[in-house]
Amino acid sequence: MSLVNKFKSGWRTLLPTCREASRLQSDALEQPLSPARRFGLMFHLLVCKWCRRYGRQLRFLHTAAHEHREALTAQVPQKLDPAARERIKQRLQSGGN
Amino acid sequence: MPESRTDIALSDPERWVDEHGDYLFKYALMRLRDPAEAEDAVQETFLAALKGGKSFQGRSAEKSWLVGILKNKICDHFRKASRETSFTDLEFYADEESDRFAPDGLAKGGWVHELGPQEWENPGASLDNEVFWQTYRDCAGKLPKNVAAVFNLREVDGVESREICALLNISENNLWVMLHRARMALRRCLETNWFGKQK
Repeated sequence: MSLVNKFKSGWRTLLPTCREASRLQSDALEQPLSPARRFGLMFHLLVCKWCRRYGRQLRFLHTAAHEHREALTAQVPQKLDPAARERIKQRLQSGGN
Repeated sequence: MPESRTDIALSDPERWVDEHGDYLFKYALMRLRDPAEAEDAVQETFLAALKGGKSFQGRSAEKSWLVGILKNKICDHFRKASRETSFTDLEFYADEESDRFAPDGLAKGGWVHELGPQEWENPGASLDNEVFWQTYRDCAGKLPKNVAAVFNLREVDGVESREICALLNISENNLWVMLHRARMALRRCLETNWFGKQK
């Protein structure tokens, strides 16, 4: 990497754009960011209300999904339909012998 | 039915279907998102269980044993699927949120303000609302199938990143990009279809 590119990517780490900050806030839910990225994100959030809002909403949805698993598994169809149940039983009877 | 069984009665497989069929089906459907595929996975699970031929003192031990087998069947399914098609959905990767960030100029990469995240009023109140969860499910249902699978495994079921990467044979960076895109799309969808309509 040339010196110019190194400088550019270092600059980007310390001063991320909103687009980059949105990715960082998602990644931060998966594992701790490197100190330089964390600093860059923190600085960005200090000055950007849009990204503060975005991060708040992202974490809200993240926690909501975890804590309300039952609400999210309540898809239709919820149950094996009777025909499928019979198919499986028949298969089991023939497969069991 | 006697509580302590030392051998498997002939009626056992049928009882399994009656007692655990719905639970296993729901479990499989959540991950595979296709009723026919879920039914297949459940059937294979019972067949494998029949061959395994164990008996249990308690119903809960039996259930977790069956879920363990089902998990393996689901793994197999994903492995096969990722061999057949690329796991990453290219269309989705075309960054559907591009229009929300300034394409050039001084604010390049910044939110276009009119399209940026809007304030959500008291989002916590939505958590008790069944209609909110219906909207959430509808929005998650619009994600590309593979991205939805990743999202459900990670976000809803809390499966560890490393395990998902192994399961789907994708890199960690790839997983993170998919999660990032899924979260972004979901946030946007819920803002349009729920939070934006609450005022």
